[in-house]
Amino acid sequence: MSSIKEKFNQISPSEFFYSNRDLAGFSNPTRSLYTAVRELVENALDACDQKGILPDVHLIIKAVDPEKPDPKPYILTVKDNGPGIDSKYVPLAFGTILYGSKFGLKQARGMFGLGATMAILYAQITTNKPVIVKSSTDGKIQDEFEILLDIQKNKPIIVKHKTKEISKSGLSVSICLEGDYSKAGTKIRDYVYETSLITPYATITFDDPKGGKFRHPRFVKDIPPPPTIIRPHPHGIDVERIRRMIVESVFEIPNIDDAMIEKVRKDLGLSKKNLSFTGIMERARKRGKALPRQTRVVIALMSFLKMDFEKLNKIRIEDIDVPNKKLSYWDFGDSQSKSVDMDPESQYYNQLTHTVQGEPLTTFLTKRFQRVGPTTAIKFAEFAKFKPEKRVGTMTNQELVHLSNSLQKFEDFMAPDSSCLAPLGAEPLEKGIKKFFNPDFSAVVQRPASAYSGFPFIIEMGIAYGGEIKSGGPHVYRFANRIPLLYDEGSDVVLKVVNDADWGRYKVKGEPPFVIVSHICSTRIPYKTAGKENVADRPEIERELRLALQLLSRKLAAYMSKRGQAEMAKKRSNLYAKYIPMIAEFCTELAGKKKEPNYKKILEEVTIESKKTVEEEKPIENK
Amino acid sequence: MKISKSKELSKKAKEKQKNVLEMLKSHGARIYDDLDNGRFPKFSIPSRSVSNIVYDKKLRQYILGSNSALRSAKNSAQLRSFTQLMWLAFFANRLTQEKKSSTLRDIYYSSQAFAVEFEDQSESDNIIVDLEAISSKPREDFHIFPEERSSIFGDLNIEYTIPGYEGKTMNLSNHPDGYAIGPSLTTAELVDTSAEIVIAVEKGGLFTRFIEEQIDKKFKSIIINTGGQAPRSTRTLLKRLHDELGLPVIILTDGDVYGEHIAMVIKSGSANAAHLRELTVPDAKWVGVWATDIEKYKLPTIPMTESDIKRCHDLLKDPRYGGGIWKKELDVFLRLKRKAELEAFSKYGLTNITDKYLPQKIELAKSL
Repeated sequence: MSSIKEKFNQISPSEFFYSNRDLAGFSNPTRSLYTAVRELVENALDACDQKGILPDVHLIIKAVDPEKPDPKPYILTVKDNGPGIDSKYVPLAFGTILYGSKFGLKQARGMFGLGATMAILYAQITTNKPVIVKSSTDGKIQDEFEILLDIQKNKPIIVKHKTKEISKSGLSVSICLEGDYSKAGTKIRDYVYETSLITPYATITFDDPKGGKFRHPRFVKDIPPPPTIIRPHPHGIDVERIRRMIVESVFEIPNIDDAMIEKVRKDLGLSKKNLSFTGIMERARKRGKALPRQTRVVIALMSFLKMDFEKLNKIRIEDIDVPNKKLSYWDFGDSQSKSVDMDPESQYYNQLTHTVQGEPLTTFLTKRFQRVGPTTAIKFAEFAKFKPEKRVGTMTNQELVHLSNSLQKFEDFMAPDSSCLAPLGAEPLEKGIKKFFNPDFSAVVQRPASAYSGFPFIIEMGIAYGGEIKSGGPHVYRFANRIPLLYDEGSDVVLKVVNDADWGRYKVKGEPPFVIVSHICSTRIPYKTAGKENVADRPEIERELRLALQLLSRKLAAYMSKRGQAEMAKKRSNLYAKYIPMIAEFCTELAGKKKEPNYKKILEEVTIESKKTVEEEKPIENK
Repeated sequence: MKISKSKELSKKAKEKQKNVLEMLKSHGARIYDDLDNGRFPKFSIPSRSVSNIVYDKKLRQYILGSNSALRSAKNSAQLRSFTQLMWLAFFANRLTQEKKSSTLRDIYYSSQAFAVEFEDQSESDNIIVDLEAISSKPREDFHIFPEERSSIFGDLNIEYTIPGYEGKTMNLSNHPDGYAIGPSLTTAELVDTSAEIVIAVEKGGLFTRFIEEQIDKKFKSIIINTGGQAPRSTRTLLKRLHDELGLPVIILTDGDVYGEHIAMVIKSGSANAAHLRELTVPDAKWVGVWATDIEKYKLPTIPMTESDIKRCHDLLKDPRYGGGIWKKELDVFLRLKRKAELEAFSKYGLTNITDKYLPQKIELAKSL
């Protein structure tokens, strides 16, 4: 028995990720270097976004020993001008897995700040070097830490800590990791390039290990409106989530021991003074809501027990039987179980039942979920065959499962709140497309918010044709929550939608020079893998992508047919210029004349006509 | 007397040339004026689509109906063919003026020197037909001839009208291989002949045999090899022999449905040339080989192919095959489902056809 028991040792999150690091995109030196860059850059951008700071991100990759062949150790540094991290949280934030500031429900590049610590963990296990974090929140003092992770205990080990004076706030994270830049370089440069397309308000600089400098200055001065943190949508949760939300809403009956009694006395200002039962009640009524919740619960119990502190010290609460309105306790003095009736009219009754059994279902729904009003909550209770006043704390496991299933099935909830989303906006997107691809034609669309499984999402898409775009298109640039997706494009839903399109119908033929930029924003992108590189084909997302693409394709088709008409008009005008002089030549000899007829007039006429066609097309081209 | 006739004929030829040149000039002048006045030139052209080809009982040939199409230089889709046609008129004008001859193929190649593009010869051939349709004149009038493949032999004196040979005469029995029916012969004046009949045969082999057997002398005839379907120059010549010299024309073909149609085209023209009137010899007579001859002369036969049979049914729908021997023979072909070649007579000896069959047929033709 004992040997089996040993196998069930709990492992720390650090250990778990240590043994499963390939899940998070740290499978080999090439991919790991790329993933580490991504995680640190995205953390920097997220930090700036949250505080509404125009980001200046500086990415530096340096080989420890440039002469060594790849794979080899690299020092990867990412500096930002963000808010920095308070020095007392730095060790925890960079030395613990699953410690993060991003647990709220809103759109961000990363979910839990997990990726950055994974990168640090990977760096430590490949080079055994600490992460160097320099942080300043006030722009005056900078804290510099060298931190190692205690993998087994999931705790930071501070190797060094010093402070110095500086002139601006921000965070700099530097890790030393095994990587392969000769293989990962293309992807990293693509990543930086594409990130600057989807983050046009950021200036991103990249110094690569070969001495190359890539600078992408911001070309938009406004940060898109930041997302707000919101409560979950009923469609977006499962049983486990409900259970946790109920626990939050239920307050356990405090264990009334000496310490607790001491605390209550202190809260009532009776540390050194004894009062009778009625005196205590009087004092409590006066203090009312100013008292902490725990204390209020004890007072409520006392009100039914009709006991002062001395008596309270000699009992233990056994049960609060709400249906029978009985409160039972064990009396140490008499060594027996006793019970008292609870008066449902009493002001303390509600408070106590609330505490024990949680909120009524309707209150739970309106208070804990987004966009659920009392009417909807009652309707839902009917639908799920729960009494509206049913207290969530009294639900059995079976009832919880039924509640969870019913929440999924009930269709009268309002669509998820999209204020937690932060799309880039059509205007900056189009500006970026024009700047990056310099096309003859471009169009963008931002679809209205939609939702899958309770998670809101917005599709933004752009299309560009001609100009400096290479042929062989469509070239698809995929983004999710302002992150470029570079790997595994074959199995991505965006690719699927683009490939399904019948481009011939939109007058796009052969190997056209055109580009599609797709941006999916959501509180949860349904990635197919933990590596976050390809989006799964949820029908709702696929549908929105299709609609966006169709709309843009129709615009492209209109442009193409105008372009075709202009070309035709030009061709026609060329035809006249070629053939009319020949006709003139032949008929001159036929008619026995010496001088050719003056055919210039009709040539001018056709030239004017073809110009007209071209001009008519122009306004559409500029749209 | 010979000379005066020749002069008269020569005058006629000059007249014809003048007509052609005037017609071309007037067309050219109209287009010149249009261009000079800032108008897109255009002209109408008789439609040659199947729906516009009708059979004229009076003329006993196919003619074009009244439908016509407008061709305009303003229509960019027609600009190219408009230019091609203008060039052709221009080139025909030169040919006619300078009395030079050209062939269909030669026209196709000549176009390249003027940067006028034709996709292939069939495109240029088609434009030539357009010119014929507009002017109602055969291409030979514009000095454009098909490649030569048919020939003539017999006692016939001609006088050339082509440059360099004007006034020169020739007797067409001087050379035992016969004479190719080319531009110079087609445009020559037919002076006189001792012949009393024209025998047109479908095949070169039989043509040579007839010369060897001196059919020209034995039957006082002019022998013509049509080389399969008779080219238009040959049909023009046949018509002139009939009209100008008053000679009856008989036709000998293979004993099959195609042979029957070769005879019909000489007699009443083809749908392809419905825009032209001067190409038929309505009095020409098909004398064999008939389907009934196959049984009568017990000729060796081969079975008809499926396309032969289909052709029979097609021709039966043609009004010209609606009665007389034309319908009767087609019906017999369809009954027999067998056909015979002219050479089939060789089974009974090489001269069987000239000794026995031909005399009978010439006799028969008088009563047809």
